[in-house]
Amino acid sequence: VLILVRSPLPRLRALLQRCWGRLECGLWPSVLRGQSPPWGPALAVQGPALVPRGLNDASESSTEAPSLLESILWMAAPKQRRTIEVNRCRRRHPSKLIEMKRNIDVCPECGNLKQKHVLCGYCYAKVKEETRLIRMEIGKKEGGPFNAPTVETVVLYEGEKATEKDEGKRIIERARKRPSWFVQN
Amino acid sequence: MRLSVAAAISHGRVYRRLGLGPRSRLDLLRNLVTALVRHERIETPWARADEMRGYAERLIDYAKRGDKDERAMRMADFWLTEKDLIHKLFKVLAPRFQPHPGGYTRLLQIPNRDGLDRAKMAVIELKGNPLPPLVRPRRDSDKTLLNQLLKGYRQDAQRAA
Repeated sequence: VLILVRSPLPRLRALLQRCWGRLECGLWPSVLRGQSPPWGPALAVQGPALVPRGLNDASESSTEAPSLLESILWMAAPKQRRTIEVNRCRRRHPSKLIEMKRNIDVCPECGNLKQKHVLCGYCYAKVKEETRLIRMEIGKKEGGPFNAPTVETVVLYEGEKATEKDEGKRIIERARKRPSWFVQN
Repeated sequence: MRLSVAAAISHGRVYRRLGLGPRSRLDLLRNLVTALVRHERIETPWARADEMRGYAERLIDYAKRGDKDERAMRMADFWLTEKDLIHKLFKVLAPRFQPHPGGYTRLLQIPNRDGLDRAKMAVIELKGNPLPPLVRPRRDSDKTLLNQLLKGYRQDAQRAA
């Protein structure tokens, strides 16, 4: 939207001279007001007038309050529409694309996919279910809370006897056949 | 000249920031150590398991000193909130790990949690526990070149003998 500012010409000229004055001094007028005098050439030489100075109506109006154009908060806005080529370059830059994972393998036990440094989800779920059932049996044997035994524990499946290695251990019975992946030590 | 330190530098810091503060962090880790000693295998976020691992192994090192040792008993009293586990620690875990110089725990990563946060999870277990094993040790296949050559060498030695 194009906003047309119908300002009278002397006000605009005064604004421009003030801006030029700021640029000359190299500082904002609110910080150093009236400390640095306007520069003049050290050596008076005949030459073109570089500095627009001394217009009568400008000196009269230099003591005005800051106009509307100075008190607006100026913010950045894009000047031109970004073309589709530029947009594509930004959107398809390698840093913005999703990385391909190259660390996916096949689990040798079950054949499901797994990441190389992570346990297989299927095999872990299998083991987790069996440990849950073993812990239920342990809970039944202990009876209540805070009854941890002071001896080791060994898990025996159907048809198995305690060996001489499992002498003083607490035996947990599981009513099923021993699974192939749980090797008895 | 920069007059203030940038906020996000943490060079050389070894301890993670867990929970609501330092006290809460210690309570969290204490609960995890108690659970590990009770159940011998727990599933928890990876950062907490990694942080807890050092404390659990040091507790077992203290337990190896024997239950007559005053410092060992005070450590066990602080770290194990359920007091029947102190007996288990000194009578079961200390003898179990007596021949081992260190490395009493095993930390393995599992697939990310199913909930909304998809947190990186790990399972930490004490070695020598009675539960089913998490990872089956894989022997090299017999069909590799080296194994075939060794098999041939063994057969030749047998035929010669």
